[in-house]
Parts: sequence; C-alpha cells; structure tokens
Amino acid sequence: MQTQENVIEIRNLSKVYRDFWGRKKVQAVKSLSLDVKRGEVFGLLGPNGSGKTTTIKMLLGLLFPTSGEISILGKKASDVAKNERIGYLPEESYLYRFLNADETLDFYGRLFNMSAQERNQRADELIKLVGLDQARRRQLKEYSKGMTRRIGLAQALINNPDLVVLDEPTSGLDPIGTREMKDLILKLRDEGKTVLLCSHQLADVQDVSDRIAVMFQGELKVMGSVEELLELREETEIRTGNLSEEGIAEIRAVLKKHGMPDPSIQKPRADLEELFLKTVRESGERPGRRFTAEEMAATQPAAEADASKK
Amino acid sequence: MDFNPTPFNFVSGFNSWLQLVGIIGAIAIGLGLLGSFLYGGGANGLPVFLKGLVSFFKEIVTVSPGRIWALTALTVKECVRRKALLVFVVFAVLLMFGGWFLPESAERAELEVSNHIAFVLTTISWLILPVVIFLSCWGIPEDIRLRSLHTVVTKPARRVEVVLGRMFGYGTMAITILILMGAVGYVWIQRQVPDDMKGINGGTNLLTCRVPVYGDFFYFLDREGLPSRTGLNVGDAWKFRSFVEGNTRSRAVWIFNDIFPETIGESLRLESRFEAFRTIKGSEQSMTSGLEAQYTLLQDTREEAFSSFGVGASFREAGEALREGNFQNASQLLSTVAERMSSAPLDFSPIDCRQVAIASVQESAYVLRKIEKGFEDVAKAFEEFGFAASEVIDPEDEASRGKMSIACAALADVLNERGDDLREAMPRIEVPLEPFEVHEFHEGDAYETYPRELTYTANNESTARFLTRTITDLNDLGKAVKGSELSADLLSDLEAANIETVNAELVIEVLQAEIEAGKLLAADGKLAVADNGRFLQVFDRLVREERLISQDPAGWVLKADLFKDLAPHGALRIQVACLDDQMYLGMARSDMFIRLKDNSFFVGYSKALLNIGLMLCLVIVLGVTASCIVKGPVSFFFTLTMFVIGQFFHSFMTRILMGQEKGSGMIESAMMIVQHRSPSTGIDTSERSMQMIQAADKVNLGLLHAASNIIPDFSNFTSAAIYIENGFDVPWASSVLPAIATFVGFLVPCVIIGAACLKFRELEAK
Ligand SMILES: Nc1ncnc2c1ncn2[C@@H]1O[C@H](COP(=O)(O)OP(=O)(O)OP(=O)(O)O)[C@@H](O)[C@H]1O
Ligand SMILES: [Mg+2]
Repeated sequence: MQTQENVIEIRNLSKVYRDFWGRKKVQAVKSLSLDVKRGEVFGLLGPNGSGKTTTIKMLLGLLFPTSGEISILGKKASDVAKNERIGYLPEESYLYRFLNADETLDFYGRLFNMSAQERNQRADELIKLVGLDQARRRQLKEYSKGMTRRIGLAQALINNPDLVVLDEPTSGLDPIGTREMKDLILKLRDEGKTVLLCSHQLADVQDVSDRIAVMFQGELKVMGSVEELLELREETEIRTGNLSEEGIAEIRAVLKKHGMPDPSIQKPRADLEELFLKTVRESGERPGRRFTAEEMAATQPAAEADASKK
Repeated sequence: MDFNPTPFNFVSGFNSWLQLVGIIGAIAIGLGLLGSFLYGGGANGLPVFLKGLVSFFKEIVTVSPGRIWALTALTVKECVRRKALLVFVVFAVLLMFGGWFLPESAERAELEVSNHIAFVLTTISWLILPVVIFLSCWGIPEDIRLRSLHTVVTKPARRVEVVLGRMFGYGTMAITILILMGAVGYVWIQRQVPDDMKGINGGTNLLTCRVPVYGDFFYFLDREGLPSRTGLNVGDAWKFRSFVEGNTRSRAVWIFNDIFPETIGESLRLESRFEAFRTIKGSEQSMTSGLEAQYTLLQDTREEAFSSFGVGASFREAGEALREGNFQNASQLLSTVAERMSSAPLDFSPIDCRQVAIASVQESAYVLRKIEKGFEDVAKAFEEFGFAASEVIDPEDEASRGKMSIACAALADVLNERGDDLREAMPRIEVPLEPFEVHEFHEGDAYETYPRELTYTANNESTARFLTRTITDLNDLGKAVKGSELSADLLSDLEAANIETVNAELVIEVLQAEIEAGKLLAADGKLAVADNGRFLQVFDRLVREERLISQDPAGWVLKADLFKDLAPHGALRIQVACLDDQMYLGMARSDMFIRLKDNSFFVGYSKALLNIGLMLCLVIVLGVTASCIVKGPVSFFFTLTMFVIGQFFHSFMTRILMGQEKGSGMIESAMMIVQHRSPSTGIDTSERSMQMIQAADKVNLGLLHAASNIIPDFSNFTSAAIYIENGFDVPWASSVLPAIATFVGFLVPCVIIGAACLKFRELEAK
C-alpha cells in the first residue's frame, strides 16, 4: 500500500432486482459502503448469492444501483471513459465463441484503439502468460472451461489496466492455474496495480489479499486487513525439521514448565494442493511413471519448503 | 407502363423529416423525463435526466472509427462463421434450374427479357431479405443473453459503436452477398437472353436502359382547342390515360424544358406508347395498320400567353383571335365586349370574370414580360384588366363590371396600338412531323429519330413570315431593287434562299404587281411599303388573298432548326393529334418521352442492385434498432411487419389519408358490414353515437397518419427493379435519390434510438 488514495469508493449502495412489472424480487445488495485503496489487493468474500457479482456489475456500470453512489477511478460508474484503465474478468468468460484466442485479443485490443503492432506484441505476451500457446488458433468454442478462464484473463489484461476486477478468478482452474493466478495477482500488485477480486474460495483469497470484506445476503459483515482478521492471538505455532520421539518428549516437558500442559504435536500433512503440484511437476520431469504414496511422502520436505516460501 | 415518375423533392422531404424527427425527439425526451422521475424519485429526476442526456451525447460525439470497424469486422466474422453465405448456394441452384420454369414467348420478346431480369432481381431480394432480418434481429439479443456484450461494454466501446458496428457489419455482409449474386445473375441474364434480342444481329436491343426525358407539363386541348387538365374518358374505370378525339382540334400537349443540344444531343428521338380506342370499325386500311397519330413540334408564344384566355364563353372569341395572332381583330372584339359590359353587365358571370382574370395576370402578362422586345405596356394593360376582372364577385354588382369594362377598353386600345408589333414578336412555328401508326395491341414501343434540321410544309403564317424575312434580308443587302426596278438577279437570289424556281418566279410576279398597284415602293435601290407599313402585313395580306399559293405541289417547303427555331429558350412544345375520324388515342404523361442515348444494361442493373442494397440496409437498420429494445423473436416480427406494410400497403395508407379510397372510417365501415348497409345509406344509429363513432374514426385516422410516417415506404426501393424490367434506365431523381433519402432518413434516428435504448437499460436480460 503505497498511498491511501481510494480507487473505488462505494457509499450506501443498494440493489433491488425487480421483475418486468417493477415488483421487487430480491434485494441483492443492502447499503454497502467500502473503499479500495490504490495498490492493494482487495478480496470480496461471501457465500453463493451474497451479492458479490451484483456489486461488481454495478461498479462497472452493467447494472444501475437502486440507490447509493459509486466512484471508480474518480469517475462515475456510468462513464465509459473509466473503462480505459480497467480490466474485467467476468464470473464466466463471456467471449465470442467463434473467435480464436488471437482474434479475441486482437478484437479487444482494437476496442482500446491500440496500434496493430501494440496489439500483436501484447497478445503474444498475454498468451504466453496464460499458457495458451498451443491453442491460440483454435476457436473458443472448443476450449475447456479452464482454457476459457485463461483467455478471459488475458483479455482483461489487454490494456495493461490500473484496476483489475476479477470475479471468481480461480473458478474452473486446475491447481496449477490457481497457483499461477495467485502468483499473477501478486505480480500485478507488485507492479502497483489495484486488484479487486471476489470469490468464495477462502484459501485463495487469503493467500493473496491485503484486505478482505465478507458479505452475507447483500450486507457487509466484516472488513479489514488479512493479518488483523486472521491472527490467532491465543496460539503460537512452532515448525521444525523431522524430530525424533525423544525430542518431542523433551519439548513437551519444556512446554509443561511454561504452563501449556497439553500441546498438540503431530507430523504436518501437505495439503492436497501441494501434492497435486508436486505430482504434476514430477510427471513433467519423469514422464510415463506412476508414483507411490511413499515416494510422494519422501519428497515432502521439498513441498514443505515450497509452501513455506510465501 | 403505368407509372408517372416524379423527381424527388429534397426540400419538402427534408422538411417533413425534420418535423417527424422533432416529434419523435419530443416524445423520447418526454419518456426519458418520465423514466428518470420514476427512477430518480421525484425531485432528482431532472438532474438525473440531464446528466444522462449529456453523457449520452458525449458518447455519440466521441465515437471512434477504429472501434466501429472492430465491431463491424466482428459482426462479419460472426455471419461468415455461422455460414450465412450459404444462401448464395441456394441462389446458384435456383439459377441453374430457373431457366426451365421461365416462360419462353417468342412473340413477345420484351416480356421474355423482362421475365429474366425480374426473376434474378426478385430471387436476389427474397433470398437475402429473410437472412438479413433474421441475423440483424438476433445479433444484439444473443449478445446480451450470452453476456458477450458485457465484455465489450466494459471496454471503452460506446453503445453507439455497438449499434453502428452491428449495422455496418450486417450491411457489409448483405452487400457482399448482393454483389456476388448480382454478378452471377448478370452473367446468367446475358447468357439466357438470345443474341437477337440483344441487338447483336441487327434486331432491336431489348437488354438496354432507355433514358427517357419526360415532359414537365402535360395537358390536353379539347375539341375546341381550349386547354383542359384531362382529355376524354372513354369509359375506362382505370383513369390513368385520357383520350384525344380524332380529327378534331383535340390534342395532348407535352412541354419539355431544358431542350438544348447539350442535354438531348443533336437529334430528337421521340418514343411513345399510346392506347388506341375505336368507336367504329374504320376503313380496312386502318384496321390492319392501326390508327394514325401525328406529332407537331411547336414554338408558340401566343399559345403560351393566351391559351386559357377565353375559356369562359364571354371572352372566347377574343381569346381565339389572340391565339391566332390577329391582334387588331382581338382589339375590336374586346372593345365590343367592353361596350356590352357597360350596357348589359349581368351577362358576365363572376366565374367567367375570375377565369379571365387568372389567365390575364398569370399567363398573358407573365409571358409578355418575358418577351425581350418591351411589351411592358401591353403586359400592364392585361394585368390591370385582370385585376379589375378579379373584383367581380357578386353576380348582381354592376359597379365592378363598370370598372372591368373600362380596363377592357383600355386593353383593346393598347392592343390596337401595339398589334403589329405583337404580331411580329409573337410568331407561331408549327412543324408537323410525319404521321405514324398506333396499333391496338401494341408491342414494343414505337420510336422515331428526327434530325435537328427539320423540313416542313409551311402554313400561311409561316409562309408569310418566311417571305418577309427573305425579302427583308435581301432588301437590307440592297439586292432586292436596283434603282427603281426589281433586281434582275432576284430570281437567283431567291433560289439561293432555298425557294423553288416556280415559287421564286411567283414571288417576283406578285412583288411586281404590288409595286405597280402602289402598295410597295421601289426607289433608290430599296424596296419599301407604302404608308410606312410593314412587310409582314403585306405578306400576311398576300397569303390571305391566296396570291402566294405554292406552285410546287410539295407546298412551301421550309427548314426549321429544332433548337434555334423551335426551342429558343429550351422549352419545346409537342402536340399529339389523332388523325382518324371517330377514333381515340389514350395517353398519359409518361406515354411519350424524348429518348436520350441508351445507357448500357449494366448501368441500370447496377442501380437496381444499389436500390435493393439500400433496402436490405434499411431492413438491417430497423432490425438492429428493434433488437436493442426487445428480444429476438419480437424484433423479428416487428421488422417483418414494418417491411410487409411498407412494401405492400404504404401506398394504400397514403391513399386513405388523402381521401382517395372510397368508404368511411374504420369503425363506421365495420358497423356497415354488421348492419348490411352500403356507404350510400349509412349506418342506422342515433346522432350521438354517430358523433362518437366519427370521433373515434378521426383518432384512427390520426394513428394511421403517424404510422404512414414512421413506416418507411419500401416501394421506393423496389421501383428501380420495375424500371429496369421494362427496359428503362433507373433515374437518379425519381428512384435512386428517394431510396437514399429514405435510408438516411431512417438511419440517423434509428441509430440514436438504438444506442439510447442500449445505454439506459441494464444489460442483464434473462
Ligand atoms: N439478473 C438477476 N435478476 C434477479 N435476481 C438476480 C439477478 N442476478 C442476481 N440475482 C440475485 O441477486 C442475489 C445476489 O447474486 P450475485 O450473483 O450477486 O451473488 P454472488 O455473490 O456473486 O454469488 P456467487 O458466489 O454464486 O457468484 C442472488 O440472490 C441472486 O439470485
Ligand atoms: Mg458471483
């Protein structure tokens, strides 16, 4: 967080969905106020149907608020000019399915009036970035769900935006994709861009966000920085290398002396994500093999080290 | 052909367009205000509305061609990848087998050619049309449904650009298919039409584009030679043509303006198609060879100035004398009329007076001012007479007749004084052309080319004028008289002026006799008229006394130049007469025209395609606009309805609105059906409910009026095909321009409406 300038300001935002006759169907967002500051990654969390997507669509001017005010990059939500500096990845990739990846990026590049050279260069970069090099000439209707997400992400970044709005960026992505996505989000933050992402994949949000907000049934329930919200002040965690039985007994004794009679001590497990990543990596290095459980366990410290890096 | 092409009037078209757009704009602003009051909640409504309006127009102003092009290309790609071009295959198949089904009629070659052209053009339009309506109506709704539009509008793309991109894209596609099909169709027509119908082996070329110049004015002369708007009706229910009676003074008159060598070329090609109508069988010769018709080319300022002077019975004789150029006689007749007007004023009906008033002011005075030689005084006298005559309103009022009588006497005096000048300044040249035959079952159009230099047999007036001019010219050169005798070389000089030897001898003989009688004076090498008279008077008298009857059986054969003599200011008058007794010739304005050099078939064909293209584009514009507001099926139905009404019922609506359709209001007519009444008896109901019904019918008529303005007249676009099918070029002014104007006129408001609807609506259609 370099500055405290607000990129998005939402004040008392409400949205009521009405049917054709103007009758109220759902109140999707209720009196929501929040700010997103320049340079931060802001995570909007909430269960299904809590109003995250609705909020984002109002931010982008796709829906009109029932009441309340929005300022985004200092402009009104209904002002097209703001879009010059925004990248948006919709909940599902709403793209033209008859285009191929190259044509898609070229088309969206043209919407920013980019020169042909700029478009080509940017398309090459982005296609490499999202790993669609092999499939760039295939029509999007042949793409798998994850591939569609990837090309969606690429189009969101075509204009090198200052503000990136990602609606469930990791949905449909394999764990590698998820990891890459998370790395990308962090990279964007390092480049000084602001990221607003919303998701119900708590782990993903936790990994990358500076600040988060949790919505439930259209209302904002919690908001704050990740450290603040997740720090467990009542507990301390110690991690070491592989420790012998004697070592463990000694530590228990020491802890007892400090008034902690019953600590939980066990071999930590890698989570499935790490296992998956490992498998894929190993498969790449040694094709045509199947791995046993022991083999995977044996390489655990590597995974451990990998996981603790962040 | 039954059409009456009239050039498109841009100014009035633009005016009514502005009015309509103004009204629609006002309605839109009203709706917008209402919406923002509801939406913004009362007091906030106005600022919300104004801000919306400002941001909308800011978007319109900042459109970028680059983005529009991107969206256009996207649309085209979509069409191509959705295999819209497959219609082309259907077309090819139809053409392959089409030849089997088209009737081959050797007797009516023109019909065969026209069938082929019609087949191609109809197939093209009816194949592309549904595809285009379908695509344009589903494009944006699908985009919204699949939410691919979300991704576009969250880029800097304006909603106007989305609308324009769609329209241009579908337009590009439609036009590409049109050009492809058009090219194939062209080749097909060229191959299907046999060579002898293309004029290759000397026959007439039927695959051509005749370029007609239609008369600017068209009227009839009745059997008395007086002008009338229509000719006779021979009992047809269909009143398109009016009839000219044979062997009377009845004529059909066309006046063509702008007749110069630059505009029509060095010769005159007249083409006509008249309808023959017999009341008796006629001679055997006329049975087999048809009725005889004759064109007469005229340069006649007297006709222009006095044609309707004397339509009313009181001034008939005076009018006749004026038209004959017998101004002294006219003067006498008018002074008699003036006397009668003061002695028996009530003989003069106000209708007669009003009629003569209009004729004197609007025709006579107007034309006299146009003649260069300064007849200001005569024009003024006619005008004053006209003004006095226009005051006669009350049948019983004698005072106004008195004033009119004074003005009439004054006019008579002026005419008496300037009569000879007028006679000289207002010639009538009458060049009758060779008669031609009109057949009952006329096939192909009769046309004839006349050279610029026309030879004709002079009538009395022309003879007198011709001799006056010849003798005056010789006299001016000092060649008529040597000393106080007629020149010895006069015979050869006259021969040099294209006078036959026998006639030249006659002229010398008559001149000699006149000199001896003291009517002409020959002295000091000059010939002069006694008592300061004029040569024209002398020759007029000699002709009248039948002393100058041609010794050559062919008569006085003279030459007239089409442009210099017959259309000195570009206005050419052509009269058509029927020569057979008790027979009738039917004609309408478009039945006779000057045929310019033909355009190639290709040119006309391309213009017809252009009109079809514009039609497709207009349908696209309507479809895309509708699809910005409602979903695909609804806008499909809407566009189709607009097209069908605009194509087949627009002229019907216009006729109802102009009161040309028989019957009464909608509800009244419905009641008549229920009650089994006819329009003459009317419905059986109380006065009160009758009033209500009529009020409701007024409202209906108002709605119809609105509809006729909002629904485009699609027949503007299909008219081009009719021209070319009948072997005419497609005229810019009456076919292509109206089509372009209709298209542009709809494009602009439609784009704005479409863009506004996309902008002020949530793109979350489920
Ligand atoms: N177009 C719509 N018409 C009517 N109701 C809608 C519409 N879109 C969303 N809703 C309703 O609004 C509420 C919020 O929906 P929203 O899509 O914003 O939730 P979300 O937080 O994005 O959920 P998810 O995690 O499943 O994506 C839901 O109750 C939903 O049913
Ligand atoms: Mg959502």
